[in-house]
Amino acid sequence: MISRRKALRAGAGLAAIGALGAPAIAHAQTATLKITTWGGKWGDIMKATVLPAFEKEFKCTVSADQAFPFMPKLQTSSKTDPLYDVFHTNSNEQWSALTEGLVMPKITAKEVPNVADVYAYAVSDKIVGVTIFTSAIGLGYRTDKGLTKPTSWKDLADPKLAGARGGYLIPVNSLGQAHLMMLGKIYGKGLTDLDAAYKALEQLKPIKLVDFTGQMEKMLLSGEVSEGVIHDSGVYRYDGQNQAVEFTSPSEGVLSLEQVLNVTPGSKLKELAFGYIDYMLRPDVQKLLAEAVWYSPANRKVKLDAKYDEKLLTTEAKVATLIQPDWKWYNERKDDIDARVTKILKS
Amino acid sequence: MSAVPNKQPFDAGRAAYLTLNFMLLFFLLAPIVIVLIFALNPTPYISFPPVGVSLRWFEKFFGSSEFMNALWLSLWVAGCVLVLSILIGGASALALARGNLPGRAFLTAFFMSPLMLPAILTGLALFQSYLLIGIGRPVWGLIMAHTLVAVPYVIRTTLAVLHNFDRRIEEAAAVLGASPLRVFFEVTLPLIRPGVFAGGVFAFIVSFDQFPVSLFLVVPKGETLPVVLFNYMKFDLDGAIAAASMVSILLALSVVLVLERLIGLKAYVKL
Repeated sequence: MISRRKALRAGAGLAAIGALGAPAIAHAQTATLKITTWGGKWGDIMKATVLPAFEKEFKCTVSADQAFPFMPKLQTSSKTDPLYDVFHTNSNEQWSALTEGLVMPKITAKEVPNVADVYAYAVSDKIVGVTIFTSAIGLGYRTDKGLTKPTSWKDLADPKLAGARGGYLIPVNSLGQAHLMMLGKIYGKGLTDLDAAYKALEQLKPIKLVDFTGQMEKMLLSGEVSEGVIHDSGVYRYDGQNQAVEFTSPSEGVLSLEQVLNVTPGSKLKELAFGYIDYMLRPDVQKLLAEAVWYSPANRKVKLDAKYDEKLLTTEAKVATLIQPDWKWYNERKDDIDARVTKILKS
Repeated sequence: MSAVPNKQPFDAGRAAYLTLNFMLLFFLLAPIVIVLIFALNPTPYISFPPVGVSLRWFEKFFGSSEFMNALWLSLWVAGCVLVLSILIGGASALALARGNLPGRAFLTAFFMSPLMLPAILTGLALFQSYLLIGIGRPVWGLIMAHTLVAVPYVIRTTLAVLHNFDRRIEEAAAVLGASPLRVFFEVTLPLIRPGVFAGGVFAFIVSFDQFPVSLFLVVPKGETLPVVLFNYMKFDLDGAIAAASMVSILLALSVVLVLERLIGLKAYVKL
């Protein structure tokens, strides 16, 4: 028979074990993964479907920051206790973050098994972290302005488009920066031929400049510009809405606008962070997001519906047309480039 | 004999004065009219001239939980800032005007300094400070940050009232036997009230429209309306932005009108 004293002692022992174990269990149950993510349609799908499913499966919560600017916030926070565990940006910002030691250089299949299934461009030497989606930067044009379908980047310089062509404020927009490099390739010796790029930029004046891609979409839709630099998803998302705007991939190739995920070295939840990236690379998640926002999935195994498959970069042959800028090279010269292009375009 | 009509001679000065006033009014009101036109235009992009009249963007704005949560948070924060600014700013102005404090000019400049610093730097500095002391980014931290930039408005308007204040009225009340507390609540406060509340209106509007300070201090699912609008604009530049702007303008106008009804801001303007 168990005495009252023994029962109390046993109870106290169990309570002590419970108390010791509690923090770990509580931590596992309430871990909050801090990520950055986009807004708009992407953000809607993430909040409605993708993140709740992840939280349920991984028994955690996700704090998704959609409020720009991400980079200064990450820079300001402690490297040992960063504001974000997973850093989602375009490729140019990942390179800036790597320079400051704020993100990991590479994400491999060892940490994230689904990396084994991505196209080569997604983990190329031009990428810090891992690409989960890409868009093709090419030309958007109005079909009701009597223009012939552009086939080359050079078509943007057509004198008929004076004042009706659209570009970006290069210092603040990575599409504008990528386009500047493309001008170097088209009119000069390559993506790094800045002299040729500056000269070509002069020839594009007068040009309407915007700072966000969303603004370029609306300028094309409203007819304020007849032709402009834009990513394919910025045009394809109006598919079926009877808009007189189409996207074309110039024959010289399209620029790659990558959606990159990375993990901060000081993250206290690295395993969960890798789990999140692996989850985002799963074929079912990739298909859901790709078809919602017209992004080309990085995972080779994704099978999109015919409508999307026809237009997006879903085969080795199609992804071979992608040109990846060297953002490390560009970022190192960014201040000088900004000063020069501002001087060119302000007049 | 027929009466000669009393013809006023052409007054070039008056015509120039009226023209200038009309131009100023046009300059101030034209953006609001343009925003209204965009808000009522049904096209999924901002275009001119409008193709019709529709409330679809207002429906989208009021139907979005993201916008509504941000709107209520902005209103709540601005309400708290209004109260705190009135209390802190009013008390500070009284102390500066009446306290015979050493280094009064320095203290006045110190209290006004948040207006001289670029707000984005204030936001970034506060963000860094909050992280350093390990409090994260709580809502009360956002309220304190907004209060910091709003208090100078209350101090400035209250000081202006106190500058024109006839202290003999207080002295008369005291001579007639009123206690210092009674003098404050029944004489001083009613007389400086227009200045304090005018500053409060500024504080409310400054907080409600505050973007640069909020940019670094909001948290996921706890974003104020200007921050949500900025992020929305990057991805979806449609009429919902214009509808949200109209709602913001009308809300700010409502606050001014309500306070004018309650406390008579005109009294302050006359001073």
